[in-house]
Amino acid sequence: MKVLENAADEQVLIEAAQRDPSQFAELYESNFDRVYAFIARRVPSRQDAEDLTSEVFHEALRNLVRFEWRGVPFAAWLLGIAGNQLADRWRRAGKHQEVPANDWDETGSDAKIEENLILFQLVNELPPDQRLVVCRRFVDQKSLREIAQELRRSEGAIKQLQFRALQGLRTRMRNRHV
Amino acid sequence: MSDMSPMDQLNEGIDLLLLDGGELATSDPEVTAMLAVAAELCTVPRADFKAELKSELLAKTTSSVITAGSASILRTAINERNTNERRSSETIPTLAGSGCGLYPVQRSSFMASLGAHALMVALLVTSGIWAAPSFHESPRVHSVLVTDLTFVLPPAPDSLRGGGGGGDSDALQASNGNPPRFAREQIAPPAIVVRSEQPKLPAEPTVVGPPALSFPQTKQIGDPLSHTSGPPSNGPGTDGGVGTGNRGGVGPGTGPGVGDGWGGGIGGGPYVVGRGVTAPQLIYDPEPEYSEEARKEKYQGVVLLQVIVGEDGRPRDIRIARSLGLGLDEKALEAVRRWRFEPGRLQGRAVAVVVNVQVNFRLY
Repeated sequence: MKVLENAADEQVLIEAAQRDPSQFAELYESNFDRVYAFIARRVPSRQDAEDLTSEVFHEALRNLVRFEWRGVPFAAWLLGIAGNQLADRWRRAGKHQEVPANDWDETGSDAKIEENLILFQLVNELPPDQRLVVCRRFVDQKSLREIAQELRRSEGAIKQLQFRALQGLRTRMRNRHV
Repeated sequence: MSDMSPMDQLNEGIDLLLLDGGELATSDPEVTAMLAVAAELCTVPRADFKAELKSELLAKTTSSVITAGSASILRTAINERNTNERRSSETIPTLAGSGCGLYPVQRSSFMASLGAHALMVALLVTSGIWAAPSFHESPRVHSVLVTDLTFVLPPAPDSLRGGGGGGDSDALQASNGNPPRFAREQIAPPAIVVRSEQPKLPAEPTVVGPPALSFPQTKQIGDPLSHTSGPPSNGPGTDGGVGTGNRGGVGPGTGPGVGDGWGGGIGGGPYVVGRGVTAPQLIYDPEPEYSEEARKEKYQGVVLLQVIVGEDGRPRDIRIARSLGLGLDEKALEAVRRWRFEPGRLQGRAVAVVVNVQVNFRLY
């Protein structure tokens, strides 16, 4: 995940995107994973997470010219939009659930989101065959048999790749925390 | 369950997780920890979704496409600004880079500027090369009128212009012929009719004058100005020699020389400067040109001309006393022929005077 080095860098990007919306791409790349992780943890399905993430970024693009830089990270503004979107969805669904205000701090980060971001990064660092198995198994939610057929390997081999991938991710996550 | 390997336990737990979000009850803490990671993996976004949403957003923007290049331009702008902050002393934020801050560089302008500067540097360098040959190849010709003719024609020792004469009181005029050779000292005077056939001390007859001078040497000694070819006679002069003069010379003069005048040397010729004879003064002296051949060869040196300046101030009888070649002799002769003089004078009367002209050909 791309992380801007400092607030001044982000301010330059925001001002550029406000002058020329086509420059929004950099802001999108910098904040997509964080927004998605925030939403995915609060909705039951991947489809809901994708719909809400899409709405958040469309809303952000529409209102970008009204954004005023006050030293708060752009991610916090995006997560604020995401919180409003979640509340609207729950309201329409008849649920009276509010997104807790302290669910994330004003910098747009909380511990769980940060864990997710680290995990996304670690997945990208896996060996190619292990990464492919993880993506097919957890993102596309395919069975071992389907993956084995697609990759033309035995189910045992896929199971072993899956085990090694999770073992490696677990170890690295633990090392990160230490 | 405990009979299952950790790998099988993990796979079964994942199946439950993906099916309905259920959790597998296992006593293996490592498998439990891996299942917790697996639950988090369900939140990994689809790579396709991320790319599709990006395209969708970009399509909405006023510009057609956000390319990776535009993102990199922004990144470059950020890096550029950070560099400028770190190095505030650097006054040139960009040359061949993407630009300064958010202001991109126009590469065409940069290239035009670069080309113009390169051209100026090239002109500065080559201008020095052009100037050098014009300085070194500039021909300069300097002419000097030399009146000291010692090394060309020494004057007669005791006379402004020499001369001599002789004879042995013969009734007949001296017969025609050439004087003997010149020598610094005379031991025996010339004689056409030898009176003593067996002298006690035989010696070659000579006349006094510059040894470098010579008349065409023939067997017949005589007076070159005599119109009488015979019979042989030493002439009516006295004291030896040939002619109507006296004291051992040839001709009508007095002394061991030849011709009019006295004291030796050649009489009747031009004067030399000194002893009352003034030097001719230049009135008009156009400088000789440098010959093209000598200029190309960068040839330089001195041409020495011997010139008789006549009573009318015009040069005549010009001869080359020291040659240089490569056309420079001809150029010197051509120029000196056009010179004009105020003639040399003796007691107020214009006389012919022999002078030397030294022409210096130099390339600076």
